Amino acid sequence: MSRGLGFGVEPFFEQRLRLAAVAIGIVFGIFFLRLFQLQVLQRGDLMQRSQRNSIRTVRLEAPRGEILDRHGRVLATTRTAFDLEVIPSELQRPERTFRVLARLVEQEPEVLRESFGAPRGRARFQPVRLVEDLSWPQLARVETHLYAIPGALTEVRPQRHYPDAGLLGHLLGTVGEVRAEQLETRRFADYRAGELVGQSGIEALLEPHLRGRAGGRNVVVDVAGREVELLDEVEPLPGGRTHLTLDVDLQRAADEGFDAVAERDDGLVSGAAVAMDARSGEILVLLSRPRFDPNAFTGSLDPESWRALREDPQKPLQNRALAGQYPPGSTWKTFVAAAALADGTIDPRARVWCPGHFRLGRRTYRCWKREGHGAVDLHEALVRSCDVYFYQTGLEIGVDRLAEYARAFGFGRATGIALANEQPGLVPTRAWKLRRFGEPWVRGETVSVAIGQGFNLATPLQLAVAYAAVANGGRVLRPRIVLRLEGRDGTVAGEPAQVTERLPVGPKHLERIRRALAAVVNERGGTGGRSRVAGVEVAGKTGTAQVVRLKYTEGMEEGRIPRRYRDHAWFAAFAPAEDAEIAVAVLVEHGGHGGSTAAPIAQRILQRYFEKSRGEEPPERREARLGAPVSGDDRAAP
Amino acid sequence: MLHLDRRLVQNFDWPLLGLIGVLLVFGIVNLISATHAEAEGLLSRVVHRQLMAVGLGALGMLAALTLDYRHLERLALPLFGASLVLLASTLVFAPVTRGSQSWLVFGSLRLQPAEFAKLGLILVLARHVHRLPPGETRRVRDLWFPALLVALPVGLIVLQRDLGVASLTLLIGATYLPFVRIRGRAWISLGLAALAALAALWFFVLEPYQRGRILDFVDPARDPLASGYQANQSRIAVGSGGLLGKGYLQGTQTQLRFLPTQHTDFAFSVLAEEWGFVGSSAVLGLYAVLLFWGLVIARGSKDGFGSLLALGVVGILFWPAVINVAMVLGLAPVIGVPLPLFSYGGSAMLSTLIALGLLLNVSMRRYVF
Repeated sequence: MSRGLGFGVEPFFEQRLRLAAVAIGIVFGIFFLRLFQLQVLQRGDLMQRSQRNSIRTVRLEAPRGEILDRHGRVLATTRTAFDLEVIPSELQRPERTFRVLARLVEQEPEVLRESFGAPRGRARFQPVRLVEDLSWPQLARVETHLYAIPGALTEVRPQRHYPDAGLLGHLLGTVGEVRAEQLETRRFADYRAGELVGQSGIEALLEPHLRGRAGGRNVVVDVAGREVELLDEVEPLPGGRTHLTLDVDLQRAADEGFDAVAERDDGLVSGAAVAMDARSGEILVLLSRPRFDPNAFTGSLDPESWRALREDPQKPLQNRALAGQYPPGSTWKTFVAAAALADGTIDPRARVWCPGHFRLGRRTYRCWKREGHGAVDLHEALVRSCDVYFYQTGLEIGVDRLAEYARAFGFGRATGIALANEQPGLVPTRAWKLRRFGEPWVRGETVSVAIGQGFNLATPLQLAVAYAAVANGGRVLRPRIVLRLEGRDGTVAGEPAQVTERLPVGPKHLERIRRALAAVVNERGGTGGRSRVAGVEVAGKTGTAQVVRLKYTEGMEEGRIPRRYRDHAWFAAFAPAEDAEIAVAVLVEHGGHGGSTAAPIAQRILQRYFEKSRGEEPPERREARLGAPVSGDDRAAP
Repeated sequence: MLHLDRRLVQNFDWPLLGLIGVLLVFGIVNLISATHAEAEGLLSRVVHRQLMAVGLGALGMLAALTLDYRHLERLALPLFGASLVLLASTLVFAPVTRGSQSWLVFGSLRLQPAEFAKLGLILVLARHVHRLPPGETRRVRDLWFPALLVALPVGLIVLQRDLGVASLTLLIGATYLPFVRIRGRAWISLGLAALAALAALWFFVLEPYQRGRILDFVDPARDPLASGYQANQSRIAVGSGGLLGKGYLQGTQTQLRFLPTQHTDFAFSVLAEEWGFVGSSAVLGLYAVLLFWGLVIARGSKDGFGSLLALGVVGILFWPAVINVAMVLGLAPVIGVPLPLFSYGGSAMLSTLIALGLLLNVSMRRYVF
């Protein structure tokens, strides 16, 4: 169809126009085919990928169960932590943003830029965490300026919180991200990388109970990962509550006792205290010093602090109450006495002459009192802690027989408390020495063992259990720490009371020992006078365990002995002396004399215990009610 | 000069104007959806600016069709010169934004002179080809003058480091080649020259990220999260639209902003996701009709210059449309070329509407002799 006679009909031009039309036709034909391929043939696959883009399953972490003490006071809970994040793709002028944010959180811009890294590609649309767990002032400053900082946001995250900080660090333990090697075990089969799990202490012990069940929701998110629409949601089930047998008031009393020692000893103190219900085995106090703050582990503990904690020569991470093994010193005499009485080796009224030393073959063993105790019977020997009496008694019983009784009291094996890393201590025998050293036992070693020196090793927890057995008429109890569990299916009782052994020591003999131990505290000349509590008859035994042979430190003035050579101070007690309710064991490493260092700590625990059982309020609660400031956190800070 | 002849009104190309109108409406409707996610009111800032550009473009179109195009043949060289001056001035006055220096800024108004250089180029090329002695076959060396005409604006645009527009301008100039009688051997030389130019471009001109985009096209798995991300998301958007689309304002890729630069380079992906195969092939069909219509006008004009001018307009529409749609559909590497009448962009809208005004101009004066 020609429209005229002009240029338009020139055959060459006309032919080329036709070619152009064909070219356009071919190109658009290809486009139609491609559209058909993508939108009709590959539709299913690409539809799915678009949904995978925008529909995300968000995990809703279950709040971890609370841990409470026996009176319902919160020891571990979950609080809300706020993190500062930025979405790289939405940052305008990143340098300026980092400068402004750094000023708001009072950090160096360099630090923020380092946390930011260099996100590329899809990661540019995902939030990057710059600062973890903002403090309230930081959060307040950031929130008020957020509107002016495009790309910055704050994110909410549940964080484990221990209100008493270090006071219960060893007992409660820590939570941390599940480790790669844990994920490979069956116990952690349904855990995901990055999830928080109990890594030690009660947190690890009761992990399945405390954990709860994570929920989830399907949400539509935009390219920045922000939730645009909620599709469906399964609520998370919070973890169960746990009531411990512990009494935080008594724990604090013990802690304050150690603080007092620290004040005396240039701020350095290490040791442990255990208090247990002498009738049921319920643990009331389980303290290890130095403490560590489990709150430091809940976020990401920087490698620097972690190394500092691990390499601290004071070993703050060790739970000395059940993993610290020490020669029991004179607290051991109680068990030697029980063994001798039960075995009929001695007549308790028979007197032994103590001239201040004891000769065996060519060697001389000293009594701690160089001028000697004179003629002492069993009662006096315990009250005044006469070494010579027990050297002789020990030799008469013999090391193997002594070991049998020591085992009956629970030494040389774990007490069975449900916490990890408990150490068994050591009860030496002839066979043991031959096996261990390939050498026969010598009698001089029996002399040492009889006063709790030599090879003997015991943990503070074992000592508390053994003294409780003396107090309760011979029942060696398994220490219990979990009072009851409250879960979704109601309340479950905690660990049942369990007697692991009955002492082969008759009630009359035990009665005699209790009278002697009461006299240690209450009689003139007794070594444990500093554990007295008004209105209650306390029974106990001091111990001073040598760390090095006497000759190294002999002649030195007490205050000038280097700390690491000073004796360990022990005190083990129960009260009331008859029908005892509570047994206590206190160890102060390098504390010097048990009577002057360890007994006052035990006294504080007992004092607080009986104040409470008589309905008196502990001092800090009285203060709180009267409006005085309570500074529990300040005190707990490391 | 102004022939407001009755015949002009009678011969006015209403169907063409209607076609342009329909495409513009689709474009605006689509742009509303593409920017819906960040719009504060009913219409986003982007849509407002685009509407203003369409209004301005309508005036430009009116001006372009009113003046008899034959006068333009005389004005071709001065207009081309003016466009070159404007282009060169960017090198002096324009701020550098995102590595290129192609915008003249007058307050809130931003102008991209390269868009107008295209118009100047088709005017001078149409004039040049029109004046060639008829029936004579050209050798390569005879092509030095048109080659220079093309090289001037292209060179200036390359200096602004806007490679996308530079190659587009080159292609628009090349549109005229098939319409000149050239010896067979000359084609071979031209082909070799083109290859050499491409190699030089690859090694000396392209930035690493630009090479990356092309490598991503050849091998999409190369880096699926970086520059391959855009192509991938676009393919997902188009494909997930299916036969009938996800519905207007319902495209998840679009509304959740998984699509990159969805109001400019990937505007067609938005359409494909929300309107499906039916909607996107309909719009594609309208583009095809528009291009054929341009060829029909070129054929129908009784005046050689008019035919060649119409042909140039077809080139101005064809190349960006083809490159853009090919990119959106994953048939070409990611090159930032907008879809005429559809993508957001004021200068492009203005120059496209002026070009279409020229087409209407030629069309309505086909009988006026």
